[in-house]
Order: sequence, then structure tokens, then C-alpha cells
Amino acid sequence: MRTRLVTISLLIAGCLAASVPLLAHHGNASYDTGKTVTVKGTVTAFIWANPHVFLKVDAKDEGGNTQHWVIEAENVVTQAGKGWSNSTFKPGDEVSVEITPAKNGQPIGRFRGRIVINGQEFKTS
Amino acid sequence: MPRRAIWTILPMAVILAFAAAPRLTSQTASPKAVDDIKIEKWNSAPVAKAEYEGVKSAPAPRRDLSGIWDATGEGYDHPPRGIGTSGADEHRAVPRGRGYTSGGEPDERNIANPLPYTPLGEATLESHKPTGIGVRSVPTALGNDPVEICDPPGFPRLELHEFRAFEITQASDQVIVMYEFFRTWRSIWTDGRELPKNPEPRWTGYSVGKWVDDYTFVVDTVGMSDKTWLDNAGRPHSGEMKVEEQFHRLDHDHMELTLTIDDPKMYKEPWLALNKFPLRLQPRGFDIREQYCSPSDLAEYNKEIGDPILAPHK
Repeated sequence: MRTRLVTISLLIAGCLAASVPLLAHHGNASYDTGKTVTVKGTVTAFIWANPHVFLKVDAKDEGGNTQHWVIEAENVVTQAGKGWSNSTFKPGDEVSVEITPAKNGQPIGRFRGRIVINGQEFKTS
Repeated sequence: MPRRAIWTILPMAVILAFAAAPRLTSQTASPKAVDDIKIEKWNSAPVAKAEYEGVKSAPAPRRDLSGIWDATGEGYDHPPRGIGTSGADEHRAVPRGRGYTSGGEPDERNIANPLPYTPLGEATLESHKPTGIGVRSVPTALGNDPVEICDPPGFPRLELHEFRAFEITQASDQVIVMYEFFRTWRSIWTDGRELPKNPEPRWTGYSVGKWVDDYTFVVDTVGMSDKTWLDNAGRPHSGEMKVEEQFHRLDHDHMELTLTIDDPKMYKEPWLALNKFPLRLQPRGFDIREQYCSPSDLAEYNKEIGDPILAPHK
């Protein structure tokens, strides 16, 4: 039973890892696609522009220091097709987002999963 | 008719009318024609393929391509084919049986449908460093894709990469195609002129078109600048390339595009980049988004993400 559970979990993880990059315009050479990190903090800016829409979030690390995260999505047209708009995030919003982190340890990520804005889950269509 | 027969037929007719009524109601609820599909008035989103179900297309109009068309109708769950993330649709730069690759390979020998490069074609490909999802992909800031620094994509890249909504209008002497990507357009002359000899290179080349039957419009294009790539996988072309497009209108709502590359300098034989690629007519009033590359937006993206992501590991 345990083996089966592990297998199922690995399968799910595998599907997630395989499906996320398909949404990307760019390759993933700079991202650690095997990892998911949850960034919780306050939005400082939301840039609705090409080549990629991106979100800036101030979040505290384990030591209590503020980290300036930058999290990218796809281009404007693709994000609009997923139900996003230029007002999806606003400065001051409290957010929790699942991201794929940069390989080099910089506070840079790419949207990959759950997005919560001011306590409300935001569903990407 | 005998009176008795009327009393037999009348109740049956009433019953049949009631039985048919709900069906009639449900028919009016679903769209009858493409123009009945609801869309946003501004920055309209392309209509997904599934929404065309139940729409009965009228026959194709004769010698007419005009309207707003879309190449991404499969929806956004997968990269729609028109976006061409991995290069020309018929020769995607991904390994056999897979939609994804982490890149970094020296050549394309493992892709499902390899291209017939000449030695010059192979060498030119090697000098191009694409950043899309492809076997030869490199990290974004190490790429040298001209579109990534806001150079015009040119033709035929406009139909092989970020090919989304576009509008076709027809005048008596030309067909004009207007694209969402870079908000750019091409004139396809139909006034009988010949293609130029030794033309000054242009990003979108020089095009002439003719109807080969009432529903098939064939376009020949030459004189494209060799500064452009063919697609998002960095496929090269020379200034001597000829491109043939065949627009075949199947009915009022559907059209297919077949695009052939003929460039003996780079490829040993002509090849199909698009083969009966599906295009769908959008409802009247569809408002095409803009999709520009702004150098200042790009500089901000590189400052925040493109450059720091290449910094040495912490």
C-alpha cells in the first residue's frame, strides 16, 4: 500500500513537472523545475508587459530579513487568455504563490501552482 | 377529407407540436452562427475550438478570405499550435514523442521530423541560439534571437511564431494581412504584377497572390531580409528564399494554411512548415489585442529577471 502511495505521489509530481514547462514561452534552463517554493509576502509592483508579465513581492526569509522576490509569468496575451488582467495584483496585496525557483538561488521564480490573493484563491482559467 | 379523419389527425398534430417545442427552445439557446458566439468587445479572446460545436457553418464565399481569423483555437491548456514555441509546426524542435525538452543539445538530429539542412544551413543554425522550448535551447540571456531584442519577426516568422489573431481585408488589387504580433501587415498584390528581380531586402518581403480556384488563394513571396529567423527554434534562411502560402477556405468559418519553404542555399529540398494548418473565423466585432515588443519594457525585464538569473550561484 505504501509503495503504491509513493508511486502515485511520484506520478503526480512527474505530471506537474512535465506539464508546467509546456506553458512557458522560454526554456527552463535557468529554473529548478524539480522544486516548488511558496512565496508569502506583500506585492510591491505588478508589471503587465511583454516579453513577460511579472510580480514583485517583499517576503521575509527564515531569518526575518526582507527578500525582494520577482516572479514571472508569460506574455500579456497568454496571461489574458488565462483570465489575468493588469489589475490581478495590486501593490499592498498580501499574496501566497507557488513558484519554480531560479537555479542560482536568486529570489527569482516562475508561477507554477496555487495563487492566493488577500486570502482568496485565484483560479487561473 | 372526411370529418372523422380531422378528429384523428388534430390531436396528433397538437401532441407533435408540444413534443417539438423544447427542442426548438434549446436550438435558439445555442449559437447558430459564428457571429452568435459571445465575445468581449475590447481585447477579445479567441474563441476556443469547442465553442464552434453546434455552429453550422455557411458555405465558403467565392474568392473571399476577408474577416478576422485565429490560429490558437485549441485554447490555452497547452501551448496553442499557432504560437510555435518549439518552431515551425511540422518540424517542432522536440524529441520524438515528446512535447518538452530542457534544451542544451548541439544539433537537431533527435527531433521527430528533422529538416534537410545543407552544410551552410547546418552551420547557420549552429550560430543561432534560440530560447524557446527546443532541443538546442539556451538560457534566455545567452540567446541571440533577433525577436528577443525587439527586431521585427518578418515573414514567414509572422505565421510560424506567435501566430494568433489576424485580419484579412481584400481590395480589388490587393489582399492585406494584418497580424497581432508586432501589429504589422503585408500587402499581397493581386493586380497581375510580377515578383521583383533582385529586390532590396525587406523584413516582410514582396508578395503576389492569385486564386487557383474559387476557394484557394496562393501567395508567392521573395526578397526577405536574411536578418530574420524562420521560427522560434532559430531555423535559418537566405535572401534567396521563396515562400509559398496556400490559403484554402473550407467553408464560411474554417480555412487551412499550407506554407512551403524553398531555399536551396540552406535546405536540400523544399519543406512544409505548415500543412493544412487550421484557422477559424472569429465573430464579427472581434477586437484584436496588441502584442508589441517595447525596448523599454524589455530593458526592465532584463534588469529584474533576465540578467540576475544568470548571476553565479549563491
